[in-house]
Amino acid sequence: MTSTVSRFVLLRATVLAASVASLFGGAAFAGTPQDGGTLTAIVQPEPVTLTSAINTAAPTGFISGNVFDGLVDYDLDLNPKPALAERWEVAPDGLSITFFLRKGVTWHDGHPFTAADVKWTLENVWKTIHPRNQATFGRVTQVDTPDDHTVILRLSEPSLAILSSVNSNGAQVLPKHLYEGTDILNNPYNLKPVGTGAFVFKEWSKGNHLILERNPNYWDKGKPHLDRIVFKVIPDAAARAAALEKGDVQYAVFSPVPLKDAERLGKLPSLKIETRGYEWISPWLFFDLNVDNKYLKDVRVRRAIAHAIDRKAISNIVWYGFAKPAISPVPSTLPAFHDATVPQYEFDVKKAEALLDEAGYKRGPDGVRFALTHDFIPYGDDYKRTGEYLKQALKRVGIEVTIRSQDTAAFTKRVYGDRDFDISSAWFAAFSDPQVGVTRAYWSGWVGKNTPWTNGSGYRNPEVDALIAQAQGQARQEDRIATFKKIQQIVQTDLPSIPLAELKFFSVHAANLKDVVTHGDQIYGSLKDAWFDKAASN
Amino acid sequence: MSIAQSVLPAAEERPVRRGLFARLLRRPSAVAGLALLGAILAMAALADVVYPADPLDMAGTPFLWPGADPDFPLGTDMMGRDIAAGVFHGARVSLLIGGVATLVSLVIGVGVGAIAGFFRGRADHALMHVTELFQTIPPFLFPIVIVAILQPTMTTVVLAIGLTSWPSLARLVRAEVLRLRDGEMVQASIVLGLSDARIILTHVLPNVLAPIVVSASIMVASAILTESSLAFLGLGDPNIVSWGSMVGAGREVLRTDWYVATVPGLAIVAAVLALNLLGDGLNDALDPRQNRR
Repeated sequence: MTSTVSRFVLLRATVLAASVASLFGGAAFAGTPQDGGTLTAIVQPEPVTLTSAINTAAPTGFISGNVFDGLVDYDLDLNPKPALAERWEVAPDGLSITFFLRKGVTWHDGHPFTAADVKWTLENVWKTIHPRNQATFGRVTQVDTPDDHTVILRLSEPSLAILSSVNSNGAQVLPKHLYEGTDILNNPYNLKPVGTGAFVFKEWSKGNHLILERNPNYWDKGKPHLDRIVFKVIPDAAARAAALEKGDVQYAVFSPVPLKDAERLGKLPSLKIETRGYEWISPWLFFDLNVDNKYLKDVRVRRAIAHAIDRKAISNIVWYGFAKPAISPVPSTLPAFHDATVPQYEFDVKKAEALLDEAGYKRGPDGVRFALTHDFIPYGDDYKRTGEYLKQALKRVGIEVTIRSQDTAAFTKRVYGDRDFDISSAWFAAFSDPQVGVTRAYWSGWVGKNTPWTNGSGYRNPEVDALIAQAQGQARQEDRIATFKKIQQIVQTDLPSIPLAELKFFSVHAANLKDVVTHGDQIYGSLKDAWFDKAASN
Repeated sequence: MSIAQSVLPAAEERPVRRGLFARLLRRPSAVAGLALLGAILAMAALADVVYPADPLDMAGTPFLWPGADPDFPLGTDMMGRDIAAGVFHGARVSLLIGGVATLVSLVIGVGVGAIAGFFRGRADHALMHVTELFQTIPPFLFPIVIVAILQPTMTTVVLAIGLTSWPSLARLVRAEVLRLRDGEMVQASIVLGLSDARIILTHVLPNVLAPIVVSASIMVASAILTESSLAFLGLGDPNIVSWGSMVGAGREVLRTDWYVATVPGLAIVAAVLALNLLGDGLNDALDPRQNRR
């Protein structure tokens, strides 16, 4: 998940930018949608396949969300909204979840969509070959389909995280009649998908473009507004910026242009920078402190490092202001789970020095207390600059940092396998439930297993492990929230990893393209609401 | 020894040394090169005096244009680092890397060339095959591979450049040594029973000095360029400021704040130009045929 999404350069959204965008983005576009027009968008890099159910890579999700529907969509506050499922019920004991499916929905080839499709996909795709869902749906023991439009998941233990991951990306339903009995991973329909979504797959000219056309039989009457979507492959960032500027392309996602260029493009009247639509991913940037290091095993040293880092400077300078300082590993973009009362480590050099003195590491005659190494996640200049900031920040309190750079394979092996590092940086997607994206960073079972993007710090706390297990089986959402808040309090006290910033990707779109972001999972969702305002021509 | 002195004319080496500097000064391009190089050397030497603080420090407001703030005459980059301080300290790193890398390739290149040319036969065969092996690899690709496999640190960058830029020098030295090998001076030394090492060091190499000096000045320039290109690609040592790393960092803001990449880029141009002008001047000054004119 993270590994696939995160090769894109991330971007920040200032609180201001986000709030201004929402002011003008939502209700302000009260104009009546107009039908027609071709949207040209950039997909980068070119996807390998078009079926999110078997490949969670970002470019696949970006296109696939238009061809397939989810059981639900998530609004900008990440509440589930009806899609293929008109409504759903969780049993009071949490041991069953019932989805009531929409009637009269057909696949693009005319076959009716039924509960059998959901049951088959869950049993044969989500539980077996889906990269993320094996954990999410692991507690489903049986799927009942009393009629064609009812699906009942029977669970061995309550598993509320399921409801945060049943959109078209988290749990994509495949047409059983085209996949049953075939080699699912090599099924030809992975490259010419047949879904239920607002747009129908038309053609794919590899290395060039991919075309989707309006689905005239779409169940959401009156939608989509666009006649067709053309996805273009433009590998060079400067060429992408030029295409957007010229108006050849009206929509591009996942921070398609260099960070600094975004500001310049955003000032053009013909373009808009959009930071919403990534809420479902909820990425946060952090430093992992190797707790097996002889200095970093002392919690006072870890806290001193946190005090020595100005997280505002990281957001505003290193990330050009396109990030928000983070105080907890559960980003504030998950308002229900986020705990704002966790211990805070404000920027205070004196306090950092005092803590280091207290830990027994006085400044030597050369002003140096001790030396550490830093390995930054090799995903681009932004992460390198973050490392350069760390070096200068810790130098101020007497810790000499040597930065090391390497490729991604060497980095993940060093941090998650060999554990041969002192401080590393990374970003994870929290997704809309901390169980899906956050707990992996603290669960001791991952330590040293060489599974990338898991517990890098080497933190082992039986209490936290127990709380993580407890949250997985809790039936009531309030109980889970309480458990996750307890976890945040403990890990922010022990501080094996320092949350730095809540990162946000940004999209660039033409100013006359309206309602392009209407969902919190928009980036992996459908452009069925988007329309061109012909009056406001560029 | 008296026979040796009379038999071995030192005449061939004398014009090389005598008045070299004076002759260099007669060439305007060489003077320009020397002046430019002198200025860069002065920058490197005075870096700690003029800018005693760490050039990596976030000293000011980010993205100050050159001239906008008298405290930062060349402006600040995206992290608020003083570009002028970076250029001064970068001069030190770039010259150091250029110099040491050239030294490494001089030792290897001259050694290989001298041994191959002097002993000929099997040694020559073996050494020249190794040289050819190195020459078949594209010159920039090899350092990239070395630095990517080892970690990019100052030492590995110097070694990578030094270990890959010696083959042309080795061939040049070998050709010169082959020419001298059959000359009367060397033959006489052999007759006098001098050891091979002594002949090579005291009689052969001094006469090969001219082409070595000329290519060395060019090699320093190309080493600086190679280091800059590596740093531009993100394969420089992230713990030090070099001109190449500054250009690389400025690349992503090229459309909006072009000066971040341009200022250190001009420094690279100046250094490489200075060394090339000097190399040309040395070439002319050291060429005995031109002296006779």
